[in-house]
Amino acid sequence: MKDLTRLIEESAAKLFESLGQSDNIELMESGTFPLACWEAFKEDGWLQTMLSEDQGGAGLGLAGGCVLMRLAGYYSVPLPVVESLLGIYLLAESGELPNDNLYVPALLNTADEKTIYIQGVPWARHADGVVVVFAGEEGCQLQLVKRTDYQLFEGSNMAGEPRDDISFDSALLMNARSIVSLSIKTVESWLALARAAQMSGALQSVFERTVEYANERSQFGRQIGKFQAVQQQIAVQAELTSAAMCATDAAMLHIETEQEWECIVGAKIAAGEAAGVSAKTAHAVHAAIGFTHEYPLQLSTRRLWSWRDEYGHEAYWAKQLGAYFMQSGTTNLWSNLTQQTA
Amino acid sequence: MMKKLNFEPVLSTDKENLLRQQVRDFLADYGTIPASEIIDSWTVCDPDFSRLLAKQGWIGMTWPSEYTGANRSYLERYVVIEELLAAGAPVGAHWVADRQSGPLLLRFGTEQQRQFFLPQIVRGECFFAIGMSEPNSGSDLASIKTTAKRVDGGWVVNGSKIWTSWAQVCHYMITLCRTAPVSDNRHAGLSQLIVDLSSEGITIRPIKNMAGEEHFNEIFFDDVFVPDEHVAGKVNDGWSQVMAELAFERSGPERFLSSYQLLEESIKILRQGEPSSQVDSVIGQLIAKLMVLRQMSLSVASQLHEGKLPVNEASVVKDLGTSFEQELPEALRSIISIEARSGAEQGVARMLSDSILKSPSFSLRGGTREILRGIIARGLGLR
Repeated sequence: MKDLTRLIEESAAKLFESLGQSDNIELMESGTFPLACWEAFKEDGWLQTMLSEDQGGAGLGLAGGCVLMRLAGYYSVPLPVVESLLGIYLLAESGELPNDNLYVPALLNTADEKTIYIQGVPWARHADGVVVVFAGEEGCQLQLVKRTDYQLFEGSNMAGEPRDDISFDSALLMNARSIVSLSIKTVESWLALARAAQMSGALQSVFERTVEYANERSQFGRQIGKFQAVQQQIAVQAELTSAAMCATDAAMLHIETEQEWECIVGAKIAAGEAAGVSAKTAHAVHAAIGFTHEYPLQLSTRRLWSWRDEYGHEAYWAKQLGAYFMQSGTTNLWSNLTQQTA
Repeated sequence: MMKKLNFEPVLSTDKENLLRQQVRDFLADYGTIPASEIIDSWTVCDPDFSRLLAKQGWIGMTWPSEYTGANRSYLERYVVIEELLAAGAPVGAHWVADRQSGPLLLRFGTEQQRQFFLPQIVRGECFFAIGMSEPNSGSDLASIKTTAKRVDGGWVVNGSKIWTSWAQVCHYMITLCRTAPVSDNRHAGLSQLIVDLSSEGITIRPIKNMAGEEHFNEIFFDDVFVPDEHVAGKVNDGWSQVMAELAFERSGPERFLSSYQLLEESIKILRQGEPSSQVDSVIGQLIAKLMVLRQMSLSVASQLHEGKLPVNEASVVKDLGTSFEQELPEALRSIISIEARSGAEQGVARMLSDSILKSPSFSLRGGTREILRGIIARGLGLR
């Protein structure tokens, strides 16, 4: 895991740093897909990170993908890194031969209506298709709905990332592929893990900026980081950032273990809790300059405020996690919890 | 990427899982733990229980076999202590010796000290107390006034220590003393002496706490002689030793499991009621925190095993952990309608009372919240 992380970070850091330049982000926010960035991303083969070698991929799986997503979050890369990796991965799981188009995933709660509406599909306007996943009799069902087959209502999250509503005819789902081995609950948790990984990168970036700024900015004749009131706030930010990063790393480590789902849920909750405090503290420390469009802190904080809600916010997942443990029969909580690392 | 705090997660192995089961079997054989002992059980002193653990090889279990330790990993020790704490077992008698005094002697002690003290600790026959705080030195530990003056063959100690848990039962106290006058570097000139608590000149006065217990004490030293061979580590280098000790003292699961049984018992009762999404939410939030704390504390245990001293990480675990412990009864009150009862024989009413009355100390002992955050800030380069 450690070696894998280092390998991926060393290979991708330079590219991702350049992709995260503010002019690229401005382009994305103005509604134009940063095509040159996307081509560069694909050219280095990152789209296939999670695919097996048989499928023409790097064989790094979900954990490897999460390392890349964390890096994308760290540099605020204005591309659908999370979505494209998961889209192609899910397609490949269904047995479809992958290509290098942009496919983004979307979960569907009910496929009973004649016209299907799905809200907030990331990057749908730029995608070649949406990978629609819904519950099947056994496992989940998956259908690739092509761009020409869905109607689009544009929207965006607080960071200006495309979050579009789409609608299409439910007849398109008639011949969906079944993935027996994969439950909708698992797919939902993978999306949450991906977002948590991206958030842990952004949390780290916000944290580093905050410490750096507190050490640079002087008032009353000394650096503001020398004031206890400031130190205590940043220490709490460090604690929650550490918790989120540790929980996300632990979830990545527990992929394909019996505790995968619980660990992922814990990670998304921890990341969500850290996001609010981290953004609040970072802006308090940076004061007015951090509130400007020009200063790059907002690139991360606006993303954190958006991402903590996407793929389930803290309250949603806490309820799921609580229900899971409350309903696990007569087994005491402790035996349940300690399986976590088994 | 900058990485100043390290919490690399770990997976446990079959070996640890087997050990976990052994501890559970041991506890099942031991029988019911009295309700009055369950909350904050690591301050409950039961030397007989400690000796039972010693027979299992669960005291000093990470220490080398040459000192009769079990040569186990820190992760194995983690499993044992977390099982004991989660069950509310009375582990207080040997707790300090096992957690920090033994490791301190292993790291800084002389060969003679290790040979003398460690096997006694492992047998559950030798308990240690912490000698740091004084009546006028709490958070500002470097300001201590207790002195040790050089005499022929040793040192003479004068002064007092306070908030010393179980000094009335313990055999020794590792006592931080000033051994050189205060200089510009106020952290210099401090030393740790192993004081035999049965020495002449020692008076121990118990202090009753607000929960009605008498486990901590004030200790007075009146010309107490400590022989040279009982100096722990280097003379005048006590400060850095104390800081190292704190990595052991602050990161363990006792920093978030003191009130654990309250959660377990509450869930049992809540499961008998109608399913409720509010209950699910509160329980889910608490469990999410607990899961992360376990992962972080395990990570620190793994770093201790590698010989590192993750002092900053330990401060993070303690601050987050004690916040969780203090929040636990507060959060449960929002979903369970049971009033706290101090005299109750058992159950949630009793545990609520104990966990609320004891909770103020959680974020004081072993370093206050503000001190911990100050340490973290220093680690981040802000101070």
